[in-house]
Amino acid sequence: MVTRRQGLGLLGAGLAVAGLPRAAFAAPETDKRFVVVLLRGAMDGLSAVPATGDPDFARARNGLARGDTLKLDSTFGLHPNLGAMKRLYDSGELLVVHAVATPYRDRSHFDGQNLLENGAEQPYGLDTGWLNRVLARLPGSGKPLGIALDAHMPLMLRGPAAVTSWAPSLLPPPDGDTADRLAALYGETDAGLARNFTAARGANGMAMGGGGPGGGAFPGLMSAAAKFLAAPDGARVAMIEISGWDTHVNQAGPYSPLSTNLLALDRGLDALKAGLGAAWRNTAVIVVSEFGRTVAMNGTQGTDHGTAGAVFVAGGAVKGGRVLADWPGLRPADLYQGRDLKPTTDFRAIASGVLRDHLGLRAPQWAMVFPSSSPLKPRDGLIRA
Amino acid sequence: MSIAGVIAANRFGLGARPAEVAAISSDPKGWLMAQLAPETELPVPLRALPSTVDDMSAFFKWLRQIATEAKAQGMDPYAQTPPGGVAPAAGGMSRDNGFSIEREYVKAFLPRYATAVKARFDAAVATDRPFFERLVHFWSNHFVVSGAKAGAITMPPSFERDAIRPHVTGRFADMLLASSRHPAMLFYLDNYRSVGPNSKVGRDPSLRAPRTPQAFAVPQKAGLNENFAREILELQTLGVRSGYDQADVTSFARVLTGWTIAAPPRVPLYKLVLQGRLNARGLFEFDDEGHEPGPQTIMGKVYGQSGVDQGEAVLNDLARRPATAHFIATKLARHFIADDPPPAAVARLAEAFVKSDGDLKEVCAALVQSPEGFDPVPRKFKTPEEYMISAARALPAFQADATSLLRAFGSMGQTPYRPPGPDGWPDVEAEWLGADAIWKRFEWAGQTAQRVASTTMNPIALGKDLFGPQFSPATEQATARAQSPAQGLTLLLASAEFQRR
Repeated sequence: MVTRRQGLGLLGAGLAVAGLPRAAFAAPETDKRFVVVLLRGAMDGLSAVPATGDPDFARARNGLARGDTLKLDSTFGLHPNLGAMKRLYDSGELLVVHAVATPYRDRSHFDGQNLLENGAEQPYGLDTGWLNRVLARLPGSGKPLGIALDAHMPLMLRGPAAVTSWAPSLLPPPDGDTADRLAALYGETDAGLARNFTAARGANGMAMGGGGPGGGAFPGLMSAAAKFLAAPDGARVAMIEISGWDTHVNQAGPYSPLSTNLLALDRGLDALKAGLGAAWRNTAVIVVSEFGRTVAMNGTQGTDHGTAGAVFVAGGAVKGGRVLADWPGLRPADLYQGRDLKPTTDFRAIASGVLRDHLGLRAPQWAMVFPSSSPLKPRDGLIRA
Repeated sequence: MSIAGVIAANRFGLGARPAEVAAISSDPKGWLMAQLAPETELPVPLRALPSTVDDMSAFFKWLRQIATEAKAQGMDPYAQTPPGGVAPAAGGMSRDNGFSIEREYVKAFLPRYATAVKARFDAAVATDRPFFERLVHFWSNHFVVSGAKAGAITMPPSFERDAIRPHVTGRFADMLLASSRHPAMLFYLDNYRSVGPNSKVGRDPSLRAPRTPQAFAVPQKAGLNENFAREILELQTLGVRSGYDQADVTSFARVLTGWTIAAPPRVPLYKLVLQGRLNARGLFEFDDEGHEPGPQTIMGKVYGQSGVDQGEAVLNDLARRPATAHFIATKLARHFIADDPPPAAVARLAEAFVKSDGDLKEVCAALVQSPEGFDPVPRKFKTPEEYMISAARALPAFQADATSLLRAFGSMGQTPYRPPGPDGWPDVEAEWLGADAIWKRFEWAGQTAQRVASTTMNPIALGKDLFGPQFSPATEQATARAQSPAQGLTLLLASAEFQRR
């Protein structure tokens, strides 16, 4: 008997030969869960995952290196606020990848985020998101398999595949059959409003069914995401963002924005795992930021926009407990343009490795997810066999 | 009632008030052009708002207070209270003993912020010059100071009033200079503490601030911060990918060293307030001792001026660059005409910008005269703030206190004065037409309708009054068939007519 993933893979490969990859829609639904957490503002990867064992680390960071990191291996540690993530690492459910970057090199948040979300090689090269293109290639019944835990629809999830969004409500809903009437009116007058309104009604019903999540903070959103993903007929792909990582000033203190955000991230991943229950076993989460920050501290105890950073891959499906890094080193000559951690791993290689081995996407499919001028080589061995 | 009248009130204004479309329909463009005159007095709701100095004084007074309390509880105030450092985005993080700097901060300043949000809303709802008010909102979203940065929560309203409003129909260069000199902007983009490495302060360690037990996050050494320079180039003038490189950013950051708030940056801001110096000395200050000496080259041009003249020369040049004209023209056309701005309209606005040396009155006149702007097909989807303002303008009985306004803004994903980053709120439909956001609008429409339905006019008559020939038969029929006035009004407020322009 072939496993579902193998089955999908064979099916995908066969259809690709026939030139009809989109026909994979007809296959049965997947039980895999895939979550992307986008850290907007450019996380300082060297604070989250300090290279404490690198002989040049303390000097290169000129004051940002700290002594209380959680040791991962002989070279790397985790920020002390990432205690839950350390436990995931120890149980083999967290993979840390370092010196990672997208193809983007110009240090604008907005361009960097745009490229990270569109999956192209240039900002604004595509007006759809790579996660939506993943959805378009997943087997499904036509109902939305993707959800943004957000009042907005982020670019990463925008595109032709059906998606929905949800965020905690503070307003009481109108009563009676008003929603039915409005749905009918939208149906007659406005396709965009009709589509989103219908999607919202569905998501809303599901969220209300299990009681709302607590608060609008990130851990609460992760709990809500878990609720949607754990439901047997719920979403299979979710995107959640947490902003505030642009730390030009005072990033080192224990209650700095960076420390606070890392704590929120840590608690959020913990909440996701708890909420998913048994489904955690089939889950992979990618945590990524648009780029890293300067290696050296700037004049105001912060860091400026840089290049490579760290990416986390977490989940019960992940072959973790390791740090993957083709480590470029931190000597001045090793730095990108003399100031940034040099990228040695393409984010798309990590993402496509997960997409291939976790969601069963085959080469022509992930090539459409991440259109690239040169063939992408997905990273092997990120997902448990 | 003419379609042009509906478009003028809706697409260029903030949504019609009852009878407004009928009143302007004979000369809609004349009505818009007449609004391109400078403001002679502030709208009433804004007059009582505190000044920037008041806001900053209150913030730093609070910092001192909280540090005293923290010390009394045996905590380290240095770790607790980095000015400009607490990120509310993460939400709810607190110490084990239950103390949360963010919670305390929001508690202390939420009323002040809420008052300002309501004042902005009330001014937009009441104005007879909605096109002018839209332009204020547009420019305030271009030169962004976001209250989402801790310490800045109170600053955007006075920034908008003092740096934006006076220049809305004036010269772009003047608005850029006013924005760049405003303490809120210098604080938001970190420039107030940026110091040239070869400046007097940069070279002399004895000038560096000592870390006192009471001090919060005082920089131990002075250095360069390129945030402000980068955002001026990328977001405020030339636009990204317009020919500058990292070296230009760094040079420009050096040029801007010394542009600070009221006193040299080696003295922490809160100390100035405690000493009464911020109040006494005003707002913008150029600190020559922190300014990087010597000429700087930016995009191939050498700036040999000394002192503050150097930065003013660069800003004046940036304000006149063709890339800036094109960038501003594109943003205006995107805001008022279509997400994908018609190239002909962009070219017309850019030409007006260049010809008039950045006279925004001329640029806006070109916008009003652009035929694309009066295309009857609506191509813009309102942001939540625009949506709520237009609903309130349509319903004279509408009433909301600051708390319910903030709750509604928050649930729809747009709290005024708190955009997520220095690029401001997004201005395309795809960002706002999300399932959840649409649902929240529907919920708010229902709530609003239930509150005003008994005192408002017939929803069908209201729809005809507001949208004239653009009121669709389907919406009219749905409104007419509603089982109650409240339901009819809910459907009208949630209709496509109300959400698009």
